This record gives sequence, C-alpha cells and structure tokens, in this order.
Amino acid sequence: MQLRYVFTELRSGLRRNASMHVAVVLTLFVSLTLAGCGMLLQRQADKTAEALGNELQILVNLCVVDDPSKKPNCGGGAVTGPQKREVERALKASDEVEAFEFQSQAEGYAEAQEIPQYEPYFDGPDPIITQEDWPAQYWVTLEDPKEAEGVISAVEGLDGVAGIKDQRDDLEPVFGIIDALKYGSWIGSGLLLLASLLLVANTIRLAAMARRREIGIMRLVGASTLYIALPFLLESLVAAAIGVGLAAGALAAFVKFAILDGLEGAIEFVPWIGWDDYVEALIGTVPPGVVILGPALTLIPTLLLTRKYIKV
Amino acid sequence: MIRFEKVTKNYPGPGTPALDHVTVDIDKGEFVYLVGQSGSGKSTALRLMLRELRPTSGRIYVAGKEINRMAGWKVPRLRRQVGTVFQDFRLLPNKTVTENVAFALQVIGKSRREINRVVPETLEVVGLKDKGGRMPDELSGGEQQRVAIARAFVNRPMIIIADEPTGNLDPQTSVGIMNLLEDINKRGTTVVMATHDHGLVDQFRKRVVELEHGKVVRDEAAGSYGFQH
Repeated sequence: MQLRYVFTELRSGLRRNASMHVAVVLTLFVSLTLAGCGMLLQRQADKTAEALGNELQILVNLCVVDDPSKKPNCGGGAVTGPQKREVERALKASDEVEAFEFQSQAEGYAEAQEIPQYEPYFDGPDPIITQEDWPAQYWVTLEDPKEAEGVISAVEGLDGVAGIKDQRDDLEPVFGIIDALKYGSWIGSGLLLLASLLLVANTIRLAAMARRREIGIMRLVGASTLYIALPFLLESLVAAAIGVGLAAGALAAFVKFAILDGLEGAIEFVPWIGWDDYVEALIGTVPPGVVILGPALTLIPTLLLTRKYIKV
Repeated sequence: MIRFEKVTKNYPGPGTPALDHVTVDIDKGEFVYLVGQSGSGKSTALRLMLRELRPTSGRIYVAGKEINRMAGWKVPRLRRQVGTVFQDFRLLPNKTVTENVAFALQVIGKSRREINRVVPETLEVVGLKDKGGRMPDELSGGEQQRVAIARAFVNRPMIIIADEPTGNLDPQTSVGIMNLLEDINKRGTTVVMATHDHGLVDQFRKRVVELEHGKVVRDEAAGSYGFQH
C-alpha cells in the first residue's frame, strides 16, 4: 500500500479541520484527566480502606455497675463471669472474627489515663471517671474489615454487653469525601467523554463531507475501504495521542504536586497513592486506563462513521 | 464479459420496477449503447454493473464473477477492472491533469514508478500529452472529459462504463470523445455507454440495447437510436 497519499491526506485533513481537532483534543484532555483522577481516587480509597481497615477493630463494651447505657442487657449490674464466657463463645463461633482480646477494667483505665486529652477526667482525688466506670472490653480483630454485621448482631444482644463500638464509623466521613470526589469525577468525565465522542463524530462527518468528491472517486476506481478510511483513522489517532499526552501530563502533575509534595507530607497516617498507581491509571486494563480510553473514544466513532459515509 | 440474468431492481416505495426481468449478454470487446427515455432504467443498469446497487432478483456477472453475491471486501477489486466515466467529469479541481489521472492509481496502491510510466502514456492515448500540468478549470469541457476517460482507462480495465459521457458537450466535441472511446474499444476494452445522443448513435453504428420502463424492448447489432425523445 502506498502510504504517501495517506499521509498527505492526513496532513491536509488536520489543517482543514484544525479548529475541530483542537476542540476534540481539549475535550479529550479534560475528560481523560477527570477519568484518570477518578481512577486515582478509587485507588486511594482502596488503599486507605485496606491500610486503615486492617487496624480497625470492634470493641465490645461490657456492663459496669450502674451502667450509663441503661440497657436491659446490663440489668444485672456489672458483667459476670458466665456472661463473659457467653460473649467469648459467641466471638469464637463467628466466622468474621480473626482474633479477640480481653481488656480488664484496670488495664483499660490505665491505658486511657495515658491519653493527654482525657487527663481532666482522671485528675484529682475524686476524678470524674473512676476505674469502676471504665468498662472491660473485648477488642475484636476482623477477618475482613468490611464484614462485621454478623458478629455485631451475635454479640449485641447478649447479657452483660453494654454496647459495641465500631471504629470503622469514625472513618465514615473520610470515605464519604473520597467517594464523593470519585463519583463526582466519574460523572464529570463520563459527560465529557460523551461530549468528545460526539465531537469526534461531528469532526469525521465534516471531514467526510469535505472529501466527498475524492471519496467518491476512490470508491469508483477500486480503493479499499481501509485505504479510504485510513486518513480519518489516523486523524482521530493523532487527536487521541495529543489528548492522552496532555492528560498524562496533568495527572503526573496532580500526583507530584498534590499527593507526593502535598498531602503525603501533611497527612501521614494514610498511605498515599504514588507513581505505580499513576502508571496503572494510564495503562491499566480494568478499568481501562487513559492510554486505552483515549484512542478507543476516538477510533470507535470514527470506525462506525467511516463505515457509514465511505461504504464501498 | 457482462451478463444480466432476469435482473429485477425495485426501489423502495410504490411504482414499477427500475429494471424488470432484464436479460442481456455483452461479450468481451463489444461496444454497446444503452438507450431509452429518462427513467427507463439505464443508470440503474450501470450502477448494478458496478455493484453500487444490488438487484432485487436475478443474477449479474461481470468479468466472470457473479457480483450480486460478491463479498463486500471483494468489490474494490471488481471496480479496478471497470473504468467509469460520467457526464459531469468528476475531476478533482485542486489537482492537475496528471495528478487527477495518477490519483486513480495511487489510491489502489500502485508504485510511483508504474504511475510515472503509465500516466503519460495514457494522456497520450487521450490526446492530452502536453496538458498534464494544467488544472481542470483551464481545460475545455471536451478536454476535461478526456481527462476523466484517461482516469478510467489508466488502470487498463476490462470494461469502461460511460454514463452520458457527451451529455455536457457540443456535437463536434462529442464526436471527438466518441472517437476516443472507439479507439479504447479497439484496444480490447468492452465499452458500455448510456446515452441520449441520437446523432452519435446513428453516426457510430454499434450494438444498441433499448430500455423502456425497465424492460429490454430492442437489442440490435449496429442499430440506430430509434426513437425520438
């Protein structure tokens, strides 16, 4: 196949439709950047959940004398030995529990006293909180941090159990924000990706109109469909390549300046995404990375429309 | 070379068929006029030969192949064996004469060396040897049609299909174009020409196939135009 014609046509096509191509490139750039951000946020959310989730435990608070929860479970006053054994039996029986540890009132009270902001409660000869007020606890480590409903419902109603503290609840707002950002960027990028699909379709339609005379002659003299379609496909690929390049640059800047130089130093208890996640957002397959998404978005409408307009 | 077997072509909507059980055989090297009133089915017949349309029923053979059942990807190969010429020339206005003719070879992937050899030869055949560098709008109508014929002939097709090639030309120029098509025909190329030009048909006696309301009403060797339009 003689490619000189194809490249000449590609050049003149890019020149002829310059403004449309710029529009396609910019839309692709913004939408792919947003899609990439969505992927990075997804990975950040997974990473955060995994790292923190492994450390998150469930606390089973046992009843104390005159338990402030006023629950019927605590009707008999402080938890008794048989009640504790009942709780332990339930914990052992649950598939969701990896391990659990008992912390007595004395141990818990001593540990709490070491936390500086709690100091006022323990100060003086007649402190607000005494050891008697501090509940004995079971610290439960879960097999899978996402699965806790079974063990909670198994233990919650037992006599001697004042309440259950799920540490995961404390992180709900953090996950909420990450989720909102993630879904926001997905919806935004979805709309923009749709816009770029339509823009590509329009560009191809215009280019086919501008070349309809050539295309007509090419069909008549027996040029193959591929040969006729090639300049269109290459035009789309060039637009996609520039859009992908710009998006890759923007995402790299986001990872470098927002994450590595910014948040990573400021918030240390969360593991942050890095360059390997960036590479995955570019060339990953599930979900498709920016490098796959960009060409797919331009080639699919081009192929469909060239079939329609230049059918041999 | 071209064979229509009981070919019927219906277009969507009511009305009589554009072609109605047409059976015609055109041999290799023949020159055939396709005549008839507007709407008699001439253009439909030509478009069927090029596989631009498919028949509603019947079979069409071109260059030994049954083209109505041909796979889509084989159609370009068929068209390389069939040159086409139109009333409105269909030249590319931004290309020179040489480039217009070369275009037909470039887009089917011929080498530059072959193009450089064959294009001047073909321009000589059509009598435009010295006008290769001109733009189409610098040429007369007759000359433009010669460029179009050169483009149709440059790949040395087995068949040339001409749809009213003299429709836009004065009688004297038309004779020149006919002479050229006759010359190409003598080189062994089958020529099928749809025309309204009774002067030419009567002057250059060839086989005449007359269509009326989609049916063949006359098929006559060395026939005349035969009806007033």
